[in-house]
Amino acid sequence: MMEVEEGNFDEAYDVYACMQCGKCTGSCAVSLRSDLNIRELMRIAILNENGELEKHEEIWDCTSCGICTVRCPRDLKPAEVIVGMRSSLVEGGTIPITVRDALESVGTNNNPWGRPKSKRAEWLEDLDVKVKNISEGEDAEYLLYIGCTASYDPRIQSVSRAAINVLTKLGVDFGILGEEEPCCGSEPRMMGETGLFEMLVEDNLNLFDEFSISKIITLSPHAYNTFVNDYPECAKRLKEDDAEIPDIELEVKHYTQILEELIDDGRLDGEMMNEFSETVIYHDPCYLGKRNNIFEPPRKILNIIPGARCIEFDRREDRSLCCEGGGGRMWAEGTGTGERNSIIRVNDANRDEATVIAVACPFCLSTLEDARATAGYEETMRVMDIFEILDEVLK
Amino acid sequence: MDVIVCVKKVPDTAEADVSVGAGGREINKERLTFAINEWDNYAVEEAIRLKEEDEGTVTVVTVGGKDKEDILRRSLAMGADKAIRLDMEDPEDSFVLANVLYTLIKDQKFDLVLFGAQSGDFNSGVTGVMVARMLGISHAAMVNGIEVLDGRTKTSRELEGGLNEIYEIKLPALFTIQTGINEPRYVSISGIRKARKKELKVMTPADVGVTEVKPMLSLEKMYLPPPGKIAEIIGGSPEEAAAKLASLLKEKGAF
Repeated sequence: MMEVEEGNFDEAYDVYACMQCGKCTGSCAVSLRSDLNIRELMRIAILNENGELEKHEEIWDCTSCGICTVRCPRDLKPAEVIVGMRSSLVEGGTIPITVRDALESVGTNNNPWGRPKSKRAEWLEDLDVKVKNISEGEDAEYLLYIGCTASYDPRIQSVSRAAINVLTKLGVDFGILGEEEPCCGSEPRMMGETGLFEMLVEDNLNLFDEFSISKIITLSPHAYNTFVNDYPECAKRLKEDDAEIPDIELEVKHYTQILEELIDDGRLDGEMMNEFSETVIYHDPCYLGKRNNIFEPPRKILNIIPGARCIEFDRREDRSLCCEGGGGRMWAEGTGTGERNSIIRVNDANRDEATVIAVACPFCLSTLEDARATAGYEETMRVMDIFEILDEVLK
Repeated sequence: MDVIVCVKKVPDTAEADVSVGAGGREINKERLTFAINEWDNYAVEEAIRLKEEDEGTVTVVTVGGKDKEDILRRSLAMGADKAIRLDMEDPEDSFVLANVLYTLIKDQKFDLVLFGAQSGDFNSGVTGVMVARMLGISHAAMVNGIEVLDGRTKTSRELEGGLNEIYEIKLPALFTIQTGINEPRYVSISGIRKARKKELKVMTPADVGVTEVKPMLSLEKMYLPPPGKIAEIIGGSPEEAAAKLASLLKEKGAF
């Protein structure tokens, strides 16, 4: 039997219920440009041909967008089967070098970017406003969880600064953890490092408990997803194994949900903003949309911005085209050839005459920014996080 | 083939801000992260590969306090069979450390001893070679390939200018391993947990019979290199800057 951390494949993922209909492969965001064939992998799982996994380098092409799981008519979780297969490769030690280095960096530096822990809060240096640091004993209603990418990537750090400016202006009582902020574990989990993920869940829940954190706002849909959907189940499993897990219930929101609440409470409206004379097209991140059905809040925010002409991609909401930034793909180039999804996406936006692609995820921002430059739209189009747009327009 | 690998835990200084402590004799370590020395990780992987190709055992050894045990656990999870921690302060002086390791290794059963070619903290690159001399066995430094023959190895060394030289070396021998000799495998957290059952022996200097030797070097002062004065930033438009650069290069005899 193919060994996975949670047990064997058939028990863990119910693979015998798979009827090989192929809806997963037909929906897959990368199957057009990669050998990744999720139907084939489901078949391998059913037949337990586990000795063959090393040959399937394309297992690392999956972006974990989750569309195969959303569309499976048997309610199976093909995307989780891939995580399980990666997990078995991780335990064997033979994984792409870049994935190995990212995972090792989480172990030593608490981030997958290979950057020192002591530089996690460097993005704060150019900031004019004072931010509460919960790890230094300051009290706040919310923890603003920045995440690894928005802490270290120079382009994405701008989102962290915009978030501070906007939330401060809107009077939200929040603090950060600064250098003490840990990796949320979402990417290690998707790269199949189950043991490391469990360790992070245990450490992080204890850290949140130590600083009496119960309400969290995340910048990244990936952090949001893992806190909301993976942490409770993992904590339960760890408790059964006698790990010391505090009894805390986290109330986690993606930042677009908090901003929506502020709109509903009359604390954020168009009157507070300058004109934003742009044609704005919103790109749904998979981890907010497909995986968590959060479609409305980002649109609601963009729609109140005066002057903004909001348009939509043909492929939107749960059909949104994945940017290929998730599932560890920031650290695995993938075997795929041909046009990247992010290039297709910026070309679509250009065809629709958008001048701003609005995003709500650090990975989407990173991949679409690269694509914008590669496709030659530097003069005509901007890729902006919704926080960056608000930071620009708020009076 | 029985292989002993000597490993060390060092700070990651690649990108961290390194500053010298108040005494002027060591760097401030509080905000640094520590991990197995990169070269040593390749040496452990190489030892395990040799074992996987042939029979034998792999023993990893380190000198230091209990906080150094994580690199041993990690090596055990990679596939080493046993680990020894010599419970004493890491002497830092290469000669003293070499003497300590020699005293420990000489009573062990081995065909091959592997070291990383250097360590990421002081980068002296001499400890392994000194141990070989003390043990009175053949050695090769900067090794980037090992093929086991009958009682000998075919060993490749990396030289300056991109050259390699190949020796046949009679066992027992000691090699210091260059990075790039292999691609070290990933060690998962659950793998490290499972390896807790493997033997990790703690020995004292008295158990081993370590005798005190005087350091050959004494550290007088540590300081960051002062900024140079001859660097010139060429300003102006790209065209002006390029023209200025070209004339400077010509003037200094670059063409």
